[in-house]
Amino acid sequence: MTTTSPADVEAIRTALLPGSERPVADYVIDDTTPAAAFEPATREDLATVLRLASEQGLVVVPQGGRTALALGRPLEGYDIALDIGGLRQTVEYVPDDLTVTVEAGRRLGALQAELREQGQYLPIDTPPSDDVTIGGLLATARPGAWRGHVPAARDLILGIEAALPGGERIRSGGRVVKNVTGYDIHRLHTGALGAFGVLVEATFKVAPLPEATRTLVAAAPNADAASALALRLWDASPALRALAVLSPAAATLLGLPETPAVILELAGTQSTVERSTSDLGAVVAFEEAPEVAWETLRAAHGDAARTVLRAGVPPTSTRAMLDEVERAGATGWAYVAAGAVLATFAETPEAATVTGLRDTAERLGGFVQVESAPPSLRHDVSSPPGDAALIEALRDRFDPERTINRGRWGAVL
Amino acid sequence: MLPPKTVPTELTTLIRDLQEALGAENVLHLPEDLAVYEYDATIERARPDVVVFPATSEDVAAAVRIAVQHDVPVVPRGSGTGLSGGAVPILGGVLIVLTRMNRILEIDADNRVAVVQPGVINLHLQGALEPFGLLYAPDPSSQRVCTIGGNIANNSGGPHTLAHGSTVNHVLAIEVVLPDGRVVRLGSRVPDAPGIDLRGLLVGSEGTLGIVTEATLRLVRKSPATRTLLAIFESVADASEAVSTVIRRGVIPVAMEMLDQEIIRIVEPRINAGYPLDAGAVLLIEVEGVADGVAADSAVVEQACRDTGAREVRSADEAAERERLWEGRKAAIGAIGGAAPAFYLLDGVVPRTKLPQVMTRVQELCREYGFSCANVFHAGDGNLHPNIMFDPTVPGATERVLELGGAIMRACVDAGGSITGEHGIGLEKRSYMEWVFSEADLEAMRAVREAFGPSDRFNPCKMLPGGHGCASGHAAELDAHLAAGAYV
Repeated sequence: MTTTSPADVEAIRTALLPGSERPVADYVIDDTTPAAAFEPATREDLATVLRLASEQGLVVVPQGGRTALALGRPLEGYDIALDIGGLRQTVEYVPDDLTVTVEAGRRLGALQAELREQGQYLPIDTPPSDDVTIGGLLATARPGAWRGHVPAARDLILGIEAALPGGERIRSGGRVVKNVTGYDIHRLHTGALGAFGVLVEATFKVAPLPEATRTLVAAAPNADAASALALRLWDASPALRALAVLSPAAATLLGLPETPAVILELAGTQSTVERSTSDLGAVVAFEEAPEVAWETLRAAHGDAARTVLRAGVPPTSTRAMLDEVERAGATGWAYVAAGAVLATFAETPEAATVTGLRDTAERLGGFVQVESAPPSLRHDVSSPPGDAALIEALRDRFDPERTINRGRWGAVL
Repeated sequence: MLPPKTVPTELTTLIRDLQEALGAENVLHLPEDLAVYEYDATIERARPDVVVFPATSEDVAAAVRIAVQHDVPVVPRGSGTGLSGGAVPILGGVLIVLTRMNRILEIDADNRVAVVQPGVINLHLQGALEPFGLLYAPDPSSQRVCTIGGNIANNSGGPHTLAHGSTVNHVLAIEVVLPDGRVVRLGSRVPDAPGIDLRGLLVGSEGTLGIVTEATLRLVRKSPATRTLLAIFESVADASEAVSTVIRRGVIPVAMEMLDQEIIRIVEPRINAGYPLDAGAVLLIEVEGVADGVAADSAVVEQACRDTGAREVRSADEAAERERLWEGRKAAIGAIGGAAPAFYLLDGVVPRTKLPQVMTRVQELCREYGFSCANVFHAGDGNLHPNIMFDPTVPGATERVLELGGAIMRACVDAGGSITGEHGIGLEKRSYMEWVFSEADLEAMRAVREAFGPSDRFNPCKMLPGGHGCASGHAAELDAHLAAGAYV
């Protein structure tokens, strides 16, 4: 832990516009209260917080919706809470270009409401809900039920502005839908948990809002049948926006009978959805289910109070992974097209349980990500960032003092 | 006996070391052999000191390590179809040609994944996927010749980028040889692996950060129904308006390609694709999905075209008929080759709503500079491809064409666009980077490059302005004539 002196914080406080400070009690992370919390009203002020903190060796933790703070290893220091919520404007929205540029503190829900007025949306369903901020959903890059059917955040991102610990602000990409000018630093930031700077603005490609959506569910006699059905349906309609296999426990989360089931969502023009419904009905008898089922699964995935794991395995191996998840005592379900198998635990599991599931996933050709867990478990089982030499070299250049989220990716990072 | 030509000792030992590591038959060093590897599909050329043809990742790593020991640059190359000078070894050194690494290692149809070596030709992969009803979505116009490795280096697009995205959206994982000779795997066969996305950074890095030696690609299922529409307009402005109108009405076709009158007059007599010679512009639009959805979307597209002045809209559902409509588009660039002694193909990108104004500006600039210009491009993405036709034997013509290219790029940037949508920066556009990015932005990009290795090792003088040794000789001359006049 670093020790923050009152003078350190005072230097930041006086440098910012008045009214930027927030009560520290609102920013506790893993039982640690920061020395100060700021919600800068401008990008300049946000960059100033980073620069002054960096000069004084303080640790800054950027946060938006505060929905993914139990992701990654426990922090090694927490001096300043940096709330990005003050930067929440839409900078430019051109419906005919299908592009929108927004500040990073804007909530996804607020953006969706704005896009909806023009019959458009950002096809991102990051957990736990539309309370996530744009900066948060990019920094965590957590996929939801739509992954594998529609492009993900890392595909829809066109450009960013980021504030660096040195106080500079840099841009990458642009505001056009197709662009290969320079290194895609915006992709490096996607899922990096702030390792290379704090996102202050992002431009996305948006999509027309589907004219119609429909959620269908079919119970299956057993897990084998459910998985086989899902794999068969994967290609049955180009209008699929989500396709999940539910374990009996997951089915009960949605108020369905306690049996394995397949749940799917169709999205598109009215005629496409109608046609797809009848095409799929020829394969198996479906019942209509409420759309809220997807929000329930999304919230369960993003339940930071529980241990939640996300395994990624080839789609044909989701069945085997789901079995292991159930055997470990978790509630599991699989988004088949993305090969994502979610596991939520009612009680915190042993580290050995997590590593056991990870071994299984790796044997199947995939991985396990700890989406949320208590700090001690995250300390023991969180995933490494990747090629350590390259990432350290990059981090040394962008955040040499480890000002932002120190320790989230491990000891030296 | 004296050798016929003096070869520096260092070069002799470099060649010898490479021959020992890769086999003499996989190393070229005679001037007459090297000449073939001086250029890609752009105007610039420079001779490598030695060319090697690795068969494995280990070969690539060995060649890189030898180049490091000898302190010479390394430049990767696929089929040499690049349109920005990315494969031109501007400071000499070792050119690593990856065309021998051309095996498709695995097609896992059940999981929609293919694993390929970098030298696999894009269209060969499509052919291999055909029996499975799958496709690899990125389809650059050069797909008959270009390699997957080259596509990854340039983050290539193609007509279907509009719906499917560029190469980066379809690369799950890559094996890469780094500037220190280390071989690493980035990304995962399954998307959204934990950790930092170096895969996304490497794709489109134009061979400056690493050399891709294997790629795991995402495949997509072919749509059950496809319809191709050909809409005929009196002017480019009307056709541009149609593009925005289609999108505004909530339909995103998988492709929206425009051909202007100049290109129609070049293509039609050669290909007989059925494009009317008196048309101001035609739009080729493709819609995919379930049959009922395709019918509904096509109706929206057709109405949008008629509302914006289309005098005729034809459509085709059968593969052979659709192929005929596409033929003119696919053969367009090749046809220009037969119509002018030389042409300079540009790659600007603007917000789609700015297309009408920017296309008008492009036509004005071409008139001002006194060159004919034929346009065939990805209108749906706002991705322009003006082809400036010229005769390089006319004194000063090449310089004027490059100036005109700069002025067109400037017009794209001024409209809120960018200087390349799919061809890359390479050598050609590095001096324009400052139009798009601030010094701080470029400094961040240099930091990325330095984190991977010394900037003069892998593909020096590419993408970023400046660079050690790039301020003199041929590269500097190129910069000078590229930048000159572009601000006037």
